Amino acid sequence: MPTAPHYDFVHATAALVAILALLSGLALLLVKQVHEQVRVYAVLSAFAAGYTLLVGIHRVDAALIVLAVWTALIKVILIPISIDRAVTRQVSEHEVPLFVQVPMSLLIGVTLTGLAYWSASALPIHGALLPTPALGMPLSLVLVGFFFMITRQNVISQIVGLLTLENGVFIATVAIAPGLPFAIGFLLLLDLLPAVVFYGVFARLIAARAKTTSIEDMAVLRG
Amino acid sequence: MAVWILIMLALPLAAAGGGAVAGDRPVSGWLSVAAAAGSFAAALVVVFAFDAVRGRHALGTAFFIDGLSGVFLIAVAFVYAVVAVYSAGYLLSGIGHVRLRRWYWPLLNVFGLALLATPVMANLGVLWVAVELTTVVSALLVTSEGSDESLEAGWKYIVIGSAGLAVGLLGIVLIYAAGIPSLGDRYTPTYTTLAHAAPHLNASLVRTGFAFALVGFGTKVGLVPMHAWLPDAHSEGPSPVSAMLSGALLAAALYAVLRIGAIVQRTVGPSYVHVLLLVFGGLSLLLAAFFVLRQSNYKRLLAYSSIEHMGIVALGLGIGGPIAAYGAFFHVIVHAAGKTLAFFGAGDLLSRYETRDADEVRGVIRLAPFTGVMVLLGALAITGVPPFGIFRSELLIVTGGFSQSKYALAGLLVVLVNVAFVGVYQLFHRMVISPGEAKAVDRARLSRPEQPLMAVAMLASLAVVLVLGVWIPSPLNRLLHAAATVIGGQV
Repeated sequence: MPTAPHYDFVHATAALVAILALLSGLALLLVKQVHEQVRVYAVLSAFAAGYTLLVGIHRVDAALIVLAVWTALIKVILIPISIDRAVTRQVSEHEVPLFVQVPMSLLIGVTLTGLAYWSASALPIHGALLPTPALGMPLSLVLVGFFFMITRQNVISQIVGLLTLENGVFIATVAIAPGLPFAIGFLLLLDLLPAVVFYGVFARLIAARAKTTSIEDMAVLRG
Repeated sequence: MAVWILIMLALPLAAAGGGAVAGDRPVSGWLSVAAAAGSFAAALVVVFAFDAVRGRHALGTAFFIDGLSGVFLIAVAFVYAVVAVYSAGYLLSGIGHVRLRRWYWPLLNVFGLALLATPVMANLGVLWVAVELTTVVSALLVTSEGSDESLEAGWKYIVIGSAGLAVGLLGIVLIYAAGIPSLGDRYTPTYTTLAHAAPHLNASLVRTGFAFALVGFGTKVGLVPMHAWLPDAHSEGPSPVSAMLSGALLAAALYAVLRIGAIVQRTVGPSYVHVLLLVFGGLSLLLAAFFVLRQSNYKRLLAYSSIEHMGIVALGLGIGGPIAAYGAFFHVIVHAAGKTLAFFGAGDLLSRYETRDADEVRGVIRLAPFTGVMVLLGALAITGVPPFGIFRSELLIVTGGFSQSKYALAGLLVVLVNVAFVGVYQLFHRMVISPGEAKAVDRARLSRPEQPLMAVAMLASLAVVLVLGVWIPSPLNRLLHAAATVIGGQV
């Protein structure tokens, strides 16, 4: 007679964190204010760091625990504060015009989540502490991040979308390949390199375009 | 061999450091030329003096060189060297307009370092880091002219490129996960480790991983439909940077796809890899050939030509078999030389006419004969006219198609290459030879004497694409055969 799977406290907490991370990703689609988008991203990153910490504790893996702390420092504190300050100081408009309105965005986001879980269920893979299908939640974040990037006509929103997508890849890595020996090295690069460049290009973009971060005018190059 | 690889990588790093200290003083340029030339020489030693075709690790398992990596290493090292020489002439003489001169040389050298590192790294994670580094520095180089258009191009490039690479990383992670049941969960994903374990990897994970990797790294290759960043970045960046993007960056990203593909085909068989390469290669060739026809911006036309050529390489590898694969790898090298020549010529034109619009450029052959000849030869070289090397590589791919009984694919290649020829040649012919007056140009600037370093770089690229059209040296021939064997799944 089949028995119910045994879930201990760490498994249950990890499952809860994963659900909250997914909901944070979807919540991004509800937000029009640039400030709020950055804060939602910080919350999502906190769940990503929390999940990494739980996997690290479960596997008794010091590298993953260090990675969790580093992730929290960079993604929950440093990047959001930097973006938030840039928005406050240099940009006059704070609300992003939406290419797809909120209700439709949410509907598409939920559909993408369903698609991600359906696709992930075809893959024979188990994730550390994640309920099956392990890749469902990370793939959902990747798709939602893509969708957010495409439909928000604003430089900062596109950064937030890209970082959301990257959080999906990050969680997937921790979930299905937690022992990847170079994980710390290249994930740090994954975190830091785009951020450094974004600020360089972004700052010049703002200066060149008279304090606007809208990309509606960025349509000179076509064909 | 490890010492030579370290020298090859240390030289651009040292030049970048020197450039950061020296700023936009001429010494930065000269340091870069010396470093790039030294790196090219070291790359030749690494590939040809240590029998790279057999496949060797160096410095423990940090580096790995075989036929596949050798082909790409030679291509990127050559492009880096000639771009450094051309850049020296372009910037030090004041011909080129680069607003961020202070950072041009350090960025160019870090770009060179990342490109050289890509084919010699021995494991998938570090390979990804190297390709990611190329994105970061080259995006800044694209914006270095400081115009609104270059900022737009740089922004699109960094956003699309980074998103693509995140997807590529997911592909690598899936392939890593496929190895956990047989290799344990703390193994180092070197190519040789994965290649030996390949028959035991989970096939569905490997297939999915390769699909993600192809889409992710394929974004950087410029494969359709992930190519949206490429025409903008290639056309709006400074011309030497465009040459580096087209001749070396696309090749380095393609190397990542093929390195992963070489592992994947050992697990699931070659047909899966071939079919995906055929689909993306065919689409790229098809779209680019027709977009070439409608361009009036000559740098943008060259950008679409790059998409076309990456499509040809993917198609050649997708056709499979030793002849087409040999032709595809040969195409990587001759395209690198031919496209640098074409972009160098375009940069010279741009500096004289100060416009990218071909309709405003006329009479180049009369006013600047050397430039006119170089531009026209560049156009002929990249359109595969004999005796240039690209004609030979395309002929090999078509022959390979016939030998594999893939007549429709070979026919499609012939037709689309000719469509692209019409588009490229008619535009360059109009600018260089057709009579007529250019609009509002300063005659003194237009007919200024050739800058010697720019001329040397153009002649070097011309010599390579021309000589390889009639003669393939024996060591290169062996290298190309070895590369064709690796992607044939017989490491």
